[in-house]
Amino acid sequence: MLQAFNFRIILEYMPLYSQCFMATLWLSAVSLIGALLIGTAACAMRIGHYRPLARIAVIYIESIRSTPLLAQLYLVYFGLPSLGIRMSEEMTGILVLTLNSGAYMAEIIRGGIQSIPSGHIEAGIASGLNYFQRMRYIILPPALGATLPAMLGQAIVLVKDSALLSLISIMELTRAGQILTSERFMPVEGFLTTAAFYLLIYYILKSLTSWSQKRLIFREIH
Amino acid sequence: MGNTGFEKKITLLRPNDIKPTFFKKIAAMGIKDMITFKNVNKWFGKHHVLKEINLNVEPGEVLVVCGPSGSGKSTLLRCINRLESLQSGEIIIDGIKVHGRETNITKLRAEIGFVFQQFNLYPHMTAIENITIAPIKVRKLKKEVARKLGQEILDKVGLGDKAGSYPSQLSGGQQQRVAIARGLCMQPKIMLFDEPTSSLDPEMINEVLDVIRNLANEGMTMIVVTHEMGFAREAANRVAFIDEGRLVEIAPPEKFFKNPKNERTRLFLSKILAR
Ligand SMILES: Nc1ncnc2c1ncn2[C@@H]1O[C@H](COP(=O)(O)OP(=O)(O)OP(=O)(O)O)[C@@H](O)[C@H]1O
Ligand SMILES: [Mg+2]
Repeated sequence: MLQAFNFRIILEYMPLYSQCFMATLWLSAVSLIGALLIGTAACAMRIGHYRPLARIAVIYIESIRSTPLLAQLYLVYFGLPSLGIRMSEEMTGILVLTLNSGAYMAEIIRGGIQSIPSGHIEAGIASGLNYFQRMRYIILPPALGATLPAMLGQAIVLVKDSALLSLISIMELTRAGQILTSERFMPVEGFLTTAAFYLLIYYILKSLTSWSQKRLIFREIH
Repeated sequence: MGNTGFEKKITLLRPNDIKPTFFKKIAAMGIKDMITFKNVNKWFGKHHVLKEINLNVEPGEVLVVCGPSGSGKSTLLRCINRLESLQSGEIIIDGIKVHGRETNITKLRAEIGFVFQQFNLYPHMTAIENITIAPIKVRKLKKEVARKLGQEILDKVGLGDKAGSYPSQLSGGQQQRVAIARGLCMQPKIMLFDEPTSSLDPEMINEVLDVIRNLANEGMTMIVVTHEMGFAREAANRVAFIDEGRLVEIAPPEKFFKNPKNERTRLFLSKILAR
């Protein structure tokens, strides 16, 4: 088995892999940032007191979470052009991943905020802190600390989901594996290398999370 | 007005008032009430929780409130800083209508310290951060000034060495004293306590009551919801009994305990003192 494993072919394809690795990395990173922003906004709308906005947020979150990502991707990829809206494949990919992950992020953030005991918030109200001060100093720091593990999980899901972008012919890690497989008929080498790169991203994300968790919890507050 | 003022003077000149606060109270006599309830009614949906409450607390007075579970004690306190709304009547703090539309409630809340049964310290902040966050953000004190003040107050409640500790590193009694310090650090006119010792182990109750007792001696205006009747006897100017949302009885402690007018008060006292 090990003898059959062809390391040379991997080295030969390394330029392709590193290019695709960078693509997966930046597509995921941009989508993750977008998802955090949209997730925060959707969560704020959902828990806010203005009904129509809350309704919109719920519809968004539920429809995303109840439909397959692949269907969403095809809907945007084939649907938008038929409406006359043209976008690059990368833009389409980022848009879909952002909207998809944003819905999950919204629920994760909501869970974090609701994990703050109402007594802590009341203590803030009683001492005269206004809404934004309470959010900033009392609710968000521990809420984010509590949700970091779940956010890490969602970020990993996002990176893995970006593999679907290979279906709209974006050059990313899974696509690299497909190319090696179809050009040289070496699926084991092709997809093990792909998997190794995903694992690398996982470890980057994980260490980033534990680093920021420590900062959030033991940071000077003001 | 003149008449009621005179009556107040009489009630204030009870022997157990002759303590350091005596002169403060004399000075305060000319001033109107610190807290006034006028025909206050509060409903939660169909549930009538506070019924026609009339009450006044003078500057420097310590009022202890007791009553059965669910009688409305917490709600009464929470109305004072508008954690709850009212359906009719009004509450006036130092001349300001708490539930008035034009009232700057944030500013008013800054004048009222509130201590909860469950401490409610912010778990991600150290003791000193817990008590200085509001002075810095609401009172706009400089950080160094607030820290210095906060340290003084921590010293006062006997926790000078715990400034850097997180709530999870403190005992229940210590956490509650930090919570009291948090209220004091805003330099409030009024302190409200909602069963401050009810969730404490017995051996920690006194360290918290001592802090509250010291505040009483310094002339802080306070309403303390508690079933610690020993504390009520020695520290309260008046004791009130609430039952099913009604202020059934309010009297100076010696009268309240020796000779309660109301049958329900008597029943309640016999239960609670028998424990
Ligand atoms: N937010 C709320 N919504 C609906 N009902 C409430 C709410 N808060 C309190 N109540 C009800 O109002 C009544 C008075 O409650 P309150 O907490 O003031 O009683 P309490 O005298 O403080 O009791 P305890 O000694 O148990 O703390 C209770 O019957 C309670 O169920
Ligand atoms: Mg209560």
